[in-house]
Amino acid sequence: MAAPVSIRGVSRKFGETSALRAVDLEVAAGEFVALVGPSGCGKTTLLRIVADLLAPSSGEVRIGSDSAAAARRKRLLGLVSQRPAVLPWKRAIDDVRFTQRIAGRVGFDPAKVLREFGLEGHEAKRARQLSGGMLQRVNIASAIAYDPSVLLMDEPFAALDEMKREEIGEWFDHELAQRPKTVLFVTHHIDEAVMLADRLLVFSPAPGRVLEIVAVEVPRPRDPSFRQDRRFVSIAAHVRGLLMHKEAA
Amino acid sequence: MPVDAALPAQGRPAPPRLLPRLARGAVRVATPVCSVMALWYLAIWFSGLPAFVIPRPERVVEVLWVDHAFILEHLWATLEVATIGFFWANVAGIGLAVLFDILPPTRHMLMPAAITLRNVPYIALISVLMLAFGDTILSKTTIVALAGFFPVLVNTLAGLRAADEVQLDRMRILNASWWQTFSRVRLPYAIPSIVAAQEITGSGSIIVAIAAEWMISSTGLGYVINNAMQNYRGDRVYAVALVATVLSFLIYSFVHWLGRRLDWR
Repeated sequence: MAAPVSIRGVSRKFGETSALRAVDLEVAAGEFVALVGPSGCGKTTLLRIVADLLAPSSGEVRIGSDSAAAARRKRLLGLVSQRPAVLPWKRAIDDVRFTQRIAGRVGFDPAKVLREFGLEGHEAKRARQLSGGMLQRVNIASAIAYDPSVLLMDEPFAALDEMKREEIGEWFDHELAQRPKTVLFVTHHIDEAVMLADRLLVFSPAPGRVLEIVAVEVPRPRDPSFRQDRRFVSIAAHVRGLLMHKEAA
Repeated sequence: MPVDAALPAQGRPAPPRLLPRLARGAVRVATPVCSVMALWYLAIWFSGLPAFVIPRPERVVEVLWVDHAFILEHLWATLEVATIGFFWANVAGIGLAVLFDILPPTRHMLMPAAITLRNVPYIALISVLMLAFGDTILSKTTIVALAGFFPVLVNTLAGLRAADEVQLDRMRILNASWWQTFSRVRLPYAIPSIVAAQEITGSGSIIVAIAAEWMISSTGLGYVINNAMQNYRGDRVYAVALVATVLSFLIYSFVHWLGRRLDWR
């Protein structure tokens, strides 16, 4: 069950340095929002605040009717980091079961999830025996195994090459259609963001503030041919222009 | 839809047959034995030292054979001291590391004392313990524990901090308890470091136990060495040294073997 996310006036300072300035965002249940912007603009900081891994200096985050801390305690949040959090001494299927056991909730059958994630025959393999793409899919499987309402993803496909990245992105888009979640997705990759997201939150360089919220009004999951679509090219060019203009300024 | 394929299976060479394996093992054992023997005989020939200072290897083997009951009896005494001391070194080292990890202020309170204790000459400590407890197992095991706990403490502490931040974030997002995070993530990440400490402390316990016995005891291999020296029995000193070396090596090998099985890397 997806839940709406409400971010109201969230700022964060590290000492005297302002990392994030007054971010407001309303994310509908089941919506996919990509956070794009230059390095150090506060995208990951915002994601960690929503995950209750970092406290905001001001402002608040609500997940449905809960605070971020209450949502985390209720295990409503799932986190997918750039480096897969798969325990190196566990088999893939045991890692998925492990998150369910710790969360105290069995959302999906681990074997079924791994099968649906294209990992049939690899369930008994450990992290070092899996390719980067497979490992990231185990990571996502573990993150959704206890059926969290909101998925927080911090550059999850950054370590993959371009081809693999596109493939896994398309796969993930289709998976979300089966198991709807509200997604906050940090990426540097504009094309990836346009391909996957309902809306793009474009950040200015540090201290990060929202330059513009760009909507991609094409239903998900999207066909790979969307990359050649006039709308895709136009939105990507617009976002690129926003970021380049701001960085030059 | 499968989007990528599994890594190709790693091509592993077939294990060699039994006879070549045995031959290789024999060469591996014989090479260091032969080189030590060669050096030993060369030292006898070129040093000109008397036999009670540097006896011939065959004389040492003879002593081992003739005195084996006597040496074994004292070997058990040394093993007892080393084992109990090793156990308490681990209890103190791992216990303090976990305490420092749970309550960081305790590290500032207790670490200076631990470092000071580490740097006090053991001879002084043995003397004080001898005065306090006399020639008892308590004084000897205490010195073994004091000598061994510091490497265990430092390595365990480093290991507990080696846990991957990504894994810790996952445990936080899962609202895992302290115990779940400790037992399922931090401790397994610390195991390679803890094993490395055991390799130092395990074999070191035998050496420290012998040193303590040499100074204050009337039992154990240390006592046998002391007694043999006073009676100009270099052959017996060498025999005991050989036993102690083999024992330390076996303990190191066992800990190393166990560590490789526990190491998840």
